[in-house]
Amino acid sequence: MLSVTEQKDIEFSSSLISQFDEIVTRYPAGKQKAGLLPILHLVQAEYGWVSPEAMDKVAAYLEIKPIEVYEVATFYTMFFLRPQGKFVLEVCRTGPCCLVGAEKIMDHIEKTLGVKEGEVTADGKFSWRGVECLAACGMAPVLQIGPEYTFYENLTEQSVDQLINDLKNKI
Amino acid sequence: MRKENNLSHLISHISNLVKMARKLLLEHINVPGINTLDVYRQHGGYRSVEKALKTMSPDAIVEEVKTSGLRGRGGAGFPTGMKWSFLAKPEGKERYLVCNADESEPGTFKDRYLMTYIPHALIEGMIVSSFALGARTSYIYVRGEMMPQIRILEKAIAEAKNAGFLGKNILGTGYDLELYVQPGGGAYICGEETALIESLEGKRGNPRIKPPFPAISGVWACPTVVNNVETIAAVVPIINDGGEEYAKIGIGRSTGTKLISASGNLNKPGVYEIDLGVPVEEFIYSDEYCGGIANGKRLKAVVAGGSSVPILPANLSLKTVNGESRLMSYESLSDGGFQSGSMLGSGGFIAFDEDQCIVRNTWNFARFYHHESCGQCSPCREGTGWMEKVLHRLEYGHGKMSDIDLLVDVARKIEGNTICPLGDAAAWPVASAIRHFRDEFEWHVTNPKEAMDRNYGLAKYADPLPKLEEVSQ
Repeated sequence: MLSVTEQKDIEFSSSLISQFDEIVTRYPAGKQKAGLLPILHLVQAEYGWVSPEAMDKVAAYLEIKPIEVYEVATFYTMFFLRPQGKFVLEVCRTGPCCLVGAEKIMDHIEKTLGVKEGEVTADGKFSWRGVECLAACGMAPVLQIGPEYTFYENLTEQSVDQLINDLKNKI
Repeated sequence: MRKENNLSHLISHISNLVKMARKLLLEHINVPGINTLDVYRQHGGYRSVEKALKTMSPDAIVEEVKTSGLRGRGGAGFPTGMKWSFLAKPEGKERYLVCNADESEPGTFKDRYLMTYIPHALIEGMIVSSFALGARTSYIYVRGEMMPQIRILEKAIAEAKNAGFLGKNILGTGYDLELYVQPGGGAYICGEETALIESLEGKRGNPRIKPPFPAISGVWACPTVVNNVETIAAVVPIINDGGEEYAKIGIGRSTGTKLISASGNLNKPGVYEIDLGVPVEEFIYSDEYCGGIANGKRLKAVVAGGSSVPILPANLSLKTVNGESRLMSYESLSDGGFQSGSMLGSGGFIAFDEDQCIVRNTWNFARFYHHESCGQCSPCREGTGWMEKVLHRLEYGHGKMSDIDLLVDVARKIEGNTICPLGDAAAWPVASAIRHFRDEFEWHVTNPKEAMDRNYGLAKYADPLPKLEEVSQ
C-alpha cells in the first residue's frame, strides 16, 4: 500500500538554498549530483520528511531527473517518505543491542507512547521505529533522535521515561 | 607449528609487559581538549604532515606503509601499502582518496569512538595519505546517522585549514588538498567500497562489478583508494616512527595495534587498542580489557570480528582445535578455517553469555542482512529473505527438522554467487551457527513450547574441546 502525502506550495528558503550552493562546490564541475544525499538530509531537517514535491524541487536544483532523486530517497533508510512525529525515536534492534535488552526497550517505548512502530502519536509529537545497527554496540542499548541524531546510550526503562518526559516539556 | 605458537605466546607475554607504551591511536584519548587542534598539536599532532610533505616523496610514504605491514582495518585485512601501489596514475586525471567511515558492521563501533574523541588523528592521516596518493580532493564518507561526528569532523577540518594543514600550498610545500565530509543515508551496503563510491556520486548504494577495481576506475571513473578510518589513522604513527617500528608490534603478518570494539555480555564493553596477538582469553577475562563475562555468567560463544564472521562456541574461541591458545590476530583467529576458526574482520568482538539463544541471534542477524541487501543479485536478495523466514519459524516454534539443512543449503547457494561480499557475510553467520550449535536448533524443533519459555543454555561444545574429527564433520 503506497499512499502519497502531498506537500503543496513548497518553497525552499534562501538560507536552505545557500546551503545547497555550498554543498555542490565540494564536487568537480558537472558532478553536482553527488550533493544529493547531503541536500536530502537538509530538506528532511527542515520539514521532518522528504515529500515528492520536495524531491522534484531538489531534482530541479541539481539539474537531474526526478526519478534519480526518488530512487535514492527510497533506497536509504534514513529518509522519511511520509510525515513523522516531531521526535522520532530510533532504537537499534540488531544483535549486540538485543543481547543486553533492546527488545525490552522497544516494548517499553511502544507501551509508553501507545503507538505501534512507524505510527505517530495523536498529538503529533512522537513516533518510533527499530533501526539496524547504529555502531554503538558497547553502549547498548541505544537510540537516536534526528535531525541532529542525538544519541542516548545504555538505555533503561527509567532513562527512556525520563527522556520522553524531557521531550514532552521541550515542545 | 606448535613451536611457533609457543614462541608467539612468549612474544605476546613480553609485549604485554610494555603494552602501556604501545598505544598508538588512543594514547592521548583521555587528554581534556584533545579534540581541538591546539591540544592535539601539543601532544605531537600533525608532526607526520610536516615530516611527510617536507622530507618524503609520495612513493617513499607508500614504501613506508608497505614496510609497516599495515592491513586494512575495515574487515578484509588487505595490505594497505599494496592497495596503494595499485593506484593507477594516468596523466590528466584526478585521483581520489575516500575514507570509509560508514561503520555499520554489527559489533563494530571503533571508528565512531576515534572520530568522536580524537578527530584530528583521522584528518592528519588523510592529509599524509592523500599526499602519498597524489589526491588533491579527498572525502570522508561518514554514515548519515553519525551526524554529531560529521559536525566534529567539519570543525576539525576548519581548524586544520586555518592552521595551514589543508587548502592551498600546505605548509609552503606547494601541495594543495581539499578535504570534505560526505554523509551517507543509512545503508550497511555502503561500507562496501564500490557501493560507497556509487553513494558518494549521489546514487543508490549498489556495488559495482569488479574489475575494474576502484584503483583504476573509482569515483567519477577516476583512480580511487578507499580506506577505513582506523587504517588512515594508523598511517600517522607509521610515518612518525617508521614502518619498521610499526611492524615490530604484533605477531607474524598481523603487525601493529588494532582497535577492538567489545560488546555483548561483558563486564567492561568498549573500545580497546590491543597489540595484535593478545590471547582471546586474556582479552575477555583480564581486568585490563573486558573484565570477564557480566553478572558472573559463563561464556557461551564469541563473534570475534563483526556479525559477518563465523560464530564460535566458547571452547573454540579460547583455543584452536589443536589446543593452542587462540590469539587476537588475523592468522590465529582464522586457524582451522571455517570448520573450527573464524576471522578477525573489523574487530567487532561480541560475547554471548550462557543465557543467550543462538537461534534467536542468528535470526536477528539474518533479518539484518535481509534488510540491508541492496537487491541487485537474486541469491542475496531472495536467499537472505528465505533464511530470515526459516529462522523466524524455528525461533517461534513452527520449525521442522528439515529446515536446518534447508538453511545450510540456502547459505551455501548464496555464498560466492553475488557481486559483493554481503552475500557471504549473510551466509557465514547462519552456516557457522548450525555447524557449531546444531543441537540447539534441533532442540527448538523438538521442544517448540519450551524454546519459547527458556533458553537452551550452553551448547555441548562449550567444554571440553571437541576432537578434530567432530569439528571436521
